[in-house]
Amino acid sequence: MSVNEYLLIIVAGIFVNNFVLAQFLGICAFLGVSQKTETALGMGFAVIFVMGIASIATFAVDRYILVPLDLVYIRTIAFIVIIAGLVQLVEIIIKKLSPALYSALGIYLPLITTNCAVLGVAIVNVEIASYTLLAAFMNGIFSGVGFTLAMLLLAGIREKLRRSDVPEPFKGFPVTLAAASIMSMAFVAFAGMV
Amino acid sequence: MEIFKAIMIPTGLLFGIAALFAVLLSALGKLMQVKGDEKAEQIAPLLAGANCGGCGYPGCSGFAAALAAGKATVEACAATSSENKIKIAEILGASVTESAPTRVVVCCHGGNDSLDKYEYMGYGDCRSMELLAGGRKVCAWGCLGMGSCTDACHYHACEVGEKGYSEINEALCVGCGACIRACPKKIIKRIPKDAKVYVACSSRDKGKDVRAICKRGCIACGACQRACPSGAITVIDNLAVIDYSKCTGCGLCHEKCPVKCIIAL
Repeated sequence: MSVNEYLLIIVAGIFVNNFVLAQFLGICAFLGVSQKTETALGMGFAVIFVMGIASIATFAVDRYILVPLDLVYIRTIAFIVIIAGLVQLVEIIIKKLSPALYSALGIYLPLITTNCAVLGVAIVNVEIASYTLLAAFMNGIFSGVGFTLAMLLLAGIREKLRRSDVPEPFKGFPVTLAAASIMSMAFVAFAGMV
Repeated sequence: MEIFKAIMIPTGLLFGIAALFAVLLSALGKLMQVKGDEKAEQIAPLLAGANCGGCGYPGCSGFAAALAAGKATVEACAATSSENKIKIAEILGASVTESAPTRVVVCCHGGNDSLDKYEYMGYGDCRSMELLAGGRKVCAWGCLGMGSCTDACHYHACEVGEKGYSEINEALCVGCGACIRACPKKIIKRIPKDAKVYVACSSRDKGKDVRAICKRGCIACGACQRACPSGAITVIDNLAVIDYSKCTGCGLCHEKCPVKCIIAL
């Protein structure tokens, strides 16, 4: 794959195919952990991290085990097992080797083991035939970056909303959903770029 | 043979992956074990394990960590037995101040005997009803009977009965206080465990007004105050209030109360 194609993966991952705002995946975490920019950032880094390692592992298993054995139909369940196991493993290792990183990622690491955005990126990776292991890894990382961007933007908006005078019926969740939908419409502007 | 292969290969593969992770995880878990807070680990099994959140921490393990870190005191938990609390205090090297055991009561027995001002057809519980002109009852103080407390209770100890008001089942209640926080009318209260009587009304309205809208409301007649031999009851703001430090539990107030809003336990 050429440099151009990698560039495309980056732009597509962050903007065009933004996981939350264009593909509607990972909404739970998107709405649940976007109360403050700090926690949104923590969650975002955890997602980037998990998407990266999950992309490598699932892509390798799919390309070198499932496809040769003609077992692509057990992809979903195999991927879930792999991602969940892998995240637990990484968590144990990080806990030992880097307590600082462990406490920074905190509760978010185990929380996203079964996040649909993580499973989504693994499935998107294997369905594009031209991807290599590196491309899959990059797609994972930059999809995570796109997820983080969306989380950060929404968290910023929610922090502002809390200080503003929102009509009583719209307070809290309704106005958050309205803000998220407008953000999503803004991201439609990127559609067609790639 | 074909079918056998088609089933066994994917099953075996998935089993293999799962087994690999299981072995890796358990091996690494042992190898990479990080010593958690020893105190917190000792404390956690002594707590009630109800995860009711009554202490304000996320679950019993969160409370145990806060205890070990010295950020919380064991008194914040109502569900743990007092002998375990003493054990926890020993672990922490602190003394536990024995707080008198309490029970929880709903201070309104209006229910169906209390008039409605409108028929609520909306969604939700007491808290959403409260937003609509303070609830359906004409009485601004009483139980709405929509079960916010029932939803909050982890022990199924709090039910809205046929009489239309919420009641606490003493046998199931652990006294965590979740219902007390959930009630928008703030009429669920703690009284001493050995209390013999309590006032099942929270209305501060004048007696005449109360009589017009509720058959079970305190009309501030003062009969209980006069009847009480130990001077434990006073009518404050049109409502009988019992001072449990003076109450002897004779039950005279219950007998004299014309609307029977003083309940004998």
